Amino acid sequence: MKSEIVIGLEIHVQLKTQTKLFCSCPTEAVEPNTAICPTCLGHPGSKPVMNAKALEYGAKLALSLGCKIAPTVVFSRKTYFYPDLAKNYQITQYEVPLGSNGQIILDNKKVVHIQRAHLEEDPGALIHEAGGCLIDYNRSGIPLVEVVTAPDMESPAEAREFMKKVLNVLGYLGIFDQNTCVIKADANVSIKEKGYTRVEIKNITGFKEIERALNYEVQRQKQQDVKRETRGWDADKGITYHMRSKEQEEDYGYITETDLPLFEISQDWIRKIQATIPELAEQRAIRWTKDWKIDEDDANIIAADLDVATLFEEIARKTDPILTSRWTRREVLRLLNDKKKTLKETEFEAKTLTELFKLLQEKKITDRIGQRIIEQLADKKFSPNAYVTEQKLEVMADEGALEKICKEVIAKNEKAVTDYKAGEEKSLMFLIGQVMKQTKGTAAPNVVKEVLKSLLK
Amino acid sequence: MIKKFVKEALAGKINLVEHTEKALEEAEKINKEYHYITAFADAVNRAKELQEQVKNGTAKGKLFGVLISVKDSICVKDTETTASSAILKGYKPVFNATVIQKCLDEGAIILGKTVMDEFGFGGFSTNVGKGYQKPLNPYDKKRSTGGSSGGAAGLTKKASFPHIALGESTGGSIVNPASFCGVVGICPTYGRVSRYGLIDYGNSLDKVGTLALNTEDAALLLEVISGRDSHDSTTADQPVHNYSETPGAISGLRIGIVKEAYAEGIDNNVRKHVLEAVYKLEQKGARRIEISLPIGMNYGVPTYFTLAPAEASTNLAKYCGIRYGANEQLTGNFNEYFSRVRNNNFGEEAKRRLLLGTFARQAGYRDAFYTKAAKVRTKIIQEYAQAFKQVDVIITPTVAIQAPTFDEVKKLTPLQNFMIDLLTVSPNLAGLPHMTIPVAEANGLPVGMMIIGPQFGEQKIIQVARAHEK
Amino acid sequence: MEITPELVKRVAANARLNLKEDEVKKFAAEMKEILANFEKLSEVNTDGVEPSFHPIPVKNVTREDKPGKCLDREEALSLTPHKKNGYFRGPKTI
Repeated sequence: MKSEIVIGLEIHVQLKTQTKLFCSCPTEAVEPNTAICPTCLGHPGSKPVMNAKALEYGAKLALSLGCKIAPTVVFSRKTYFYPDLAKNYQITQYEVPLGSNGQIILDNKKVVHIQRAHLEEDPGALIHEAGGCLIDYNRSGIPLVEVVTAPDMESPAEAREFMKKVLNVLGYLGIFDQNTCVIKADANVSIKEKGYTRVEIKNITGFKEIERALNYEVQRQKQQDVKRETRGWDADKGITYHMRSKEQEEDYGYITETDLPLFEISQDWIRKIQATIPELAEQRAIRWTKDWKIDEDDANIIAADLDVATLFEEIARKTDPILTSRWTRREVLRLLNDKKKTLKETEFEAKTLTELFKLLQEKKITDRIGQRIIEQLADKKFSPNAYVTEQKLEVMADEGALEKICKEVIAKNEKAVTDYKAGEEKSLMFLIGQVMKQTKGTAAPNVVKEVLKSLLK
Repeated sequence: MIKKFVKEALAGKINLVEHTEKALEEAEKINKEYHYITAFADAVNRAKELQEQVKNGTAKGKLFGVLISVKDSICVKDTETTASSAILKGYKPVFNATVIQKCLDEGAIILGKTVMDEFGFGGFSTNVGKGYQKPLNPYDKKRSTGGSSGGAAGLTKKASFPHIALGESTGGSIVNPASFCGVVGICPTYGRVSRYGLIDYGNSLDKVGTLALNTEDAALLLEVISGRDSHDSTTADQPVHNYSETPGAISGLRIGIVKEAYAEGIDNNVRKHVLEAVYKLEQKGARRIEISLPIGMNYGVPTYFTLAPAEASTNLAKYCGIRYGANEQLTGNFNEYFSRVRNNNFGEEAKRRLLLGTFARQAGYRDAFYTKAAKVRTKIIQEYAQAFKQVDVIITPTVAIQAPTFDEVKKLTPLQNFMIDLLTVSPNLAGLPHMTIPVAEANGLPVGMMIIGPQFGEQKIIQVARAHEK
Repeated sequence: MEITPELVKRVAANARLNLKEDEVKKFAAEMKEILANFEKLSEVNTDGVEPSFHPIPVKNVTREDKPGKCLDREEALSLTPHKKNGYFRGPKTI
């Protein structure tokens, strides 16, 4: 039975090369129109020359998405007129894409088929102004990979997850720089109640916006008449707006790009590229679950962040992997999220975290102390061992002292004691909390519980 | 003739500045009557530069001191380059085409830009863009120079000073005007010469070539401009020979005579004189073999006039009134603006080819036209490959007629215009090297004979031309 | 095949040429004659024949991913009067 919502995506990924796809202009420039030349400006007589690295990176991405690489790579001209398109045609791939027939599997086991992954050049950047527009051709010719999915996604959340997984793969491959490279998507979305009339939403930037835009559009389609059209996404206003109807679509009149040669792809070349692809997130998570028996969920979540995954792996080899995985997920990742930082932006490092996790695994400190220390390790590099010794944060081993404190707490909190004896488990938690406070968190909570219970019998 | 001049110039025996000034004077005089040159380069200053080199003993180069005219579709830095189109009026490229740089590196002096059919669209140089004057045949001012390299061919015939012309061919635009103007024209194999800096007509068909009064001079310029170029991915990694030193030895050479190329559609004078020239070659040791090229001869024109305009219609998309070239006030939305600038500045033939080419690649027609033509092209290429198993070169008349009058040209329908290229489109589609030499005069007009060679067989065709000239 | 003035208008719009009415009629008549002649391409048997987009096979030419010399912005902008503050200017797009 067909789904209520049908979504397909076309994602444009900018590759992290030094130079543009068809000319030697640098891909990074600040001042407008400073990374330009006759080729990316479309001067008469200029000619494109293929960037070898872009071809490699494109193939690398296609292979990582499970695609088959075409034996002969051909480029096409897509002709349409717009001020940011230097030649009024874009060199892209029409008939035979670089890669085809790949897939990404979502967490709910749904398979999203990737129909094609191909190389193409970016147009320049346009700024609208009164009575005209301003154009910066720095971006003209930047190498892009366009990834096109089958309409396999059934919710905005799935679309978001798909994009996140693509970003994850890109992170692992090192061919995409989150800070300087851009990832944009066009989405095709239709709903059952409007007869699956398809609408294209253009120019959505980033995976968060994908979910926002699709949520809006699905709602809009439920409430309004739906006709076949292309709409744009306005992130500021949070709405989609009409751009053009499907009848007004340009006939691109594709022809072969004859200023470029054919690229014959040998099995040897593919093997070399394949060898440069690292173990990707999914395989990594599966390996950890198999070898270290860590929780599947934890494994997937840690693997999704390349830097955290690398850090985790280094530490886990020297400590108890299960404990390390729990702490990596529940503390390290949580802190990154709370502070809105990437791992590289914190002071976390393998050395200090390994020390900390060893202390925990040897039960030399309590979890609560561990939490306190790990929060500080995010902002400062220091030795947990030294810190624990200095601050006297070792687990309270002296049972006598502990019993004394428990008795003090019982004495000071009559109401809680009464409530507990009346059946309120919560009050016991409160008393434990008080003991933890007194012991500055160094008492093992389960020990405290037993001592209190026996005292209150 | 050129080699002798270069030797003397290098030896300091020629006052290059005086020589150049005189040549410019003559060129300007010719131009007033015949309209061959659309823009002059700064030749005198260049001559001064070269003169200094002679003084310093640093003078060198195969073309030292030689004046080279440049078809206006080839970019010369800081010199108005328009492909004879109003849409590029005033445009001065910021870079030199590779072929220009190669000429300069060999000590050449760029004389100026020669007029052409707008963007190469034509076989009579009557389709010059708005505001340009059409060139007149050097034999008879009422007649066409042929096209599209009309200015190049006419100037080559008329100039009395040492001069070689750079021309360009997509469907026959070097040999056609060379034939009508009685000069030698060489169009090399596709990929032999860099197209970097050549304003594109059909990217899989364009070739830069040379025109001169004799084969040695044309071959000399060819050897200078040939070679692999990192700026143009379609250039071949083939060794460049000293084409100008090719001897005229043709003993045992097998000449293919294309049955269809001598049939009733050919003017009697043309047929007669070309066959006489072939007979003379046989007397020098060559052997004639009759061959048939039915696909090329019968389907070359529709194949060419589908593929070339299709490519051209994408190449011309960039001319829209922003970034460079003709422009107007930025009123109206972008589609209105583009359409206005383009309609106002493209000539009639340019519009015709844009429509034809856009149509041929439009969804719904693409398979029947663009893709089908590309398949027929394969068959034409294979047909020639087969022929070259039996013969070393192929000879046909260059054009079925001698230079027509402008009145005769005016009466032609667009389709008839296309048909003039019947003999030249096939070797151009197959990317084969071909050249024309004047073999006779009839009724006061030249007759051209075309020699076609296999891929990278420039030496073979030059060999035959030299043999004829001996 | 029908070559109507409507078809010519559509093709002209695609090619960004705003032809006048008499131009449309003229080109329609010419295209009709030309394309009728070109239909004979269908006579050629091309079963199993691959299209040739280059006459001479050209393969695998690439360049190293190393930055080269760029155009000076002022030089690039000097080619047009339509510019502002380092940007090229174009007509209205919305």
